[in-house]
Amino acid sequence: MWDRREPERLEQRIRVERDGTVTALSGKIDFGQGLRTAFAQIVADELDVPIERVNMVLGDTDQVPFDFGTFGSHSVAQEAPLLRKAAAFARRQLIARASTKLGVSGEKLDTDAGAVVGRGTRVLYGELIDSEPLTGVIPDRVVLMPETRRKYAGRPTPHVEARDIVTGQATFVADVRLPNMARGAMVRPPARGAKLRSVDDSTARKMPGVVAVVRQGDVVGVVAERDEQARAAAAAVEADWHALPVEGPTAEVPMRSDPEVDERLHGAAMRLAQTYVLPPIANAPIGPSAAVADVRADGATMYVGTHRPFGVREQVAKTVGLPEKKVRVLPQITSGTYGRNSHADAAIEAAILSKGSGRPVLLQWTREEEFAWSPSRPEAVLEISAGLDADGHIVSWRYDEHTNVHTAAGLDPGVLGVTSGRNAVPPYAGFPSRVTLHIEPTRLRTANFRSLAAAENVFAIESFMDELAALSGQDPLAFRLRHIDDERFRRVVERVAEASGWTEHSGNRRGRGIACTVYHDTYVAQVAEVEVSLSGAVRLVKVWCVVDPGQTVNPEGVRNQIEGGIQQSASWTLKEELLHRDGRVMNTGWDTYPIATFRDAPESIEVLVEGDESAPPTGVGEPGAVPTAAAIANAVFAASGARLRSVPLTRERVRKAMPA
Amino acid sequence: MKLALTVNGERREVDVPPNTSLLSLLRDDLGLTGTRYGCGRGQCGACYVLADAGVGAPGHGARAVASCLLTADQAARMEITTVEGLADGTKLHPVQQAFIDGDALQCGYCTSGMVISAVALLARDPRPDETSIRDALAGNLCRCGVYGRAIRAIRRVAESS
Repeated sequence: MWDRREPERLEQRIRVERDGTVTALSGKIDFGQGLRTAFAQIVADELDVPIERVNMVLGDTDQVPFDFGTFGSHSVAQEAPLLRKAAAFARRQLIARASTKLGVSGEKLDTDAGAVVGRGTRVLYGELIDSEPLTGVIPDRVVLMPETRRKYAGRPTPHVEARDIVTGQATFVADVRLPNMARGAMVRPPARGAKLRSVDDSTARKMPGVVAVVRQGDVVGVVAERDEQARAAAAAVEADWHALPVEGPTAEVPMRSDPEVDERLHGAAMRLAQTYVLPPIANAPIGPSAAVADVRADGATMYVGTHRPFGVREQVAKTVGLPEKKVRVLPQITSGTYGRNSHADAAIEAAILSKGSGRPVLLQWTREEEFAWSPSRPEAVLEISAGLDADGHIVSWRYDEHTNVHTAAGLDPGVLGVTSGRNAVPPYAGFPSRVTLHIEPTRLRTANFRSLAAAENVFAIESFMDELAALSGQDPLAFRLRHIDDERFRRVVERVAEASGWTEHSGNRRGRGIACTVYHDTYVAQVAEVEVSLSGAVRLVKVWCVVDPGQTVNPEGVRNQIEGGIQQSASWTLKEELLHRDGRVMNTGWDTYPIATFRDAPESIEVLVEGDESAPPTGVGEPGAVPTAAAIANAVFAASGARLRSVPLTRERVRKAMPA
Repeated sequence: MKLALTVNGERREVDVPPNTSLLSLLRDDLGLTGTRYGCGRGQCGACYVLADAGVGAPGHGARAVASCLLTADQAARMEITTVEGLADGTKLHPVQQAFIDGDALQCGYCTSGMVISAVALLARDPRPDETSIRDALAGNLCRCGVYGRAIRAIRRVAESS
């Protein structure tokens, strides 16, 4: 299911156009994590063309090969080698064509900036495409460009779409304008899962600009000429709902079960048991969901923000009753969504409105809708018990993760283990452990959110590691190093200690905390420095981070992603909690769900990218966000003596936890 | 309701329903979609534009305002500049160039508003310190977390002016 791939063909990956530009195709989507840039760097290097001539097409279901979706920070790892091979294969073919054209052996030809060169001649790539496009199955082995000739990969490269963004020219989903396009607005039920009994749209239909009131099943919405008109009419629709409480599924997944866990725990010289609690939080994208649908009798075109264009195609086809191949999904630049766009809700609603009104429709969710109706990160309660021997070594570890289901991928234990149970098994060595994932029901709609359950589990594990160190009178850094047997892991932890000057005293009311993890083979260690006021207010002062993501395509992109992950995670940790009652979200605006602002940003976030260049590239979109909560909570303990086991670390909570 | 207003130095005439927001007018009637919808309540900064009501020194009276909270007829009494109107031909405004050079963006949705706030700040205070930058942009929310990069980009513009 995760890898439904057929042999890769060149024409599905790289098109050299007659004007000398290169179109490269991938089913992966860029949400600001810099994939477009990283892919363009690779293609430009292997094809030997200036990066400005590379046009990346991401996710257009009529053009790109099938892709399951953009998840789990795998994209560069999965796609980089494929695109590299495809581009190298294209370059080989261009040289072969030039060889025939010039009557010169291919071995005597080389390439230079978009042209085949040799024997004093220069043939532009575009001139070699006149007859027919480049095609063929991409062979497993292709001679790649030597690393010394790479001009882009491995070097800092700003976002390729940056100029369009700073000038306002970039087309985000809600910026798509089609001829005759109308606007949509939805009529929302009181709570998730409510069934529609009846609709009275007699007033709404007469309002200015209204084109249609559309109903399909339990979905109701208005189509009007203007956005404000659609909203006003949607508010005037009288819908009678039958509320049905919906609860998520339950399941229990044994993640790891070594022998002697209980016996060793009972026999331990020192024991500790603690519980850590995280509330649900919102993806909270700055741009609320939007979609443009143009559904006609003979086919549909969808302009959407999504992690999985082929999934949207399937869902929209089913919703509007068209065969999948008649639906084209064109992913657009979208506001960063960190996981929430794995759901196609705005797209499906827009498709229903377009079909019902016979017009292309732009549906823009409001800020309130985004908070109230988009899926959130599940809550989590993490229970840990461990025993230490007299020498301060861990001898036993018992871990119970209670959370809600994170993805729509189903309740297969294997899938749950790598989604809702992500990073529940500690990265430390030398002791037996038992780790169990308990999926508990919820009335909230939950979904993928940056790093899935890893951020929650690592908050618990890394806070607990600090507590064990404190219990046994050990330095938190030294205590971790005693339990690490993976050299790459050890190196990032040691390096972050060096970079941050771990042993230095940070001063009055200030303290430093360390946390580290291995996330999908990316090694990351962080030190946070905080200042805690007398009344318990926490200010994040500085963060140091060392990351080893293997071979690095765009170091600047990696730094940007890691910094962003840390900044966002600091916001989750210090500020965020989604309040809900009976499945209904109560805080639906920035005033009631505040996130970190410019004033909250730390003085510096120092990211050292120290990738093991002999290891394959791994993801960086998520790992930066994973250890931050524990690093901050551990720093709060160092600064004030307050051990916080619940986030967010609000002033009241910190004050209450301070020792008298 | 027929209105004439000045946007990016051009006189534009539109016919919109009463109480249409400046944001809607820009995006839906003038096709200037670089100004973005974020919350409709002036709480996120994504829709900021420069509005010059003709008070203060010439050219220095422009403030960053939430276009979602201004009505079209209020805006008709001001000179409006959007993110599309900042560049001088193909030459970007120094703030735009600094955001590119410093890779001070990720998804880019909040970028227009940040750039507008920074331009307004530098127009009234060409050498702001870091606290002034944080204060001036406190209304611009970013979820991807580029605050640090944006601060550094704006500082570089200030230092080179």
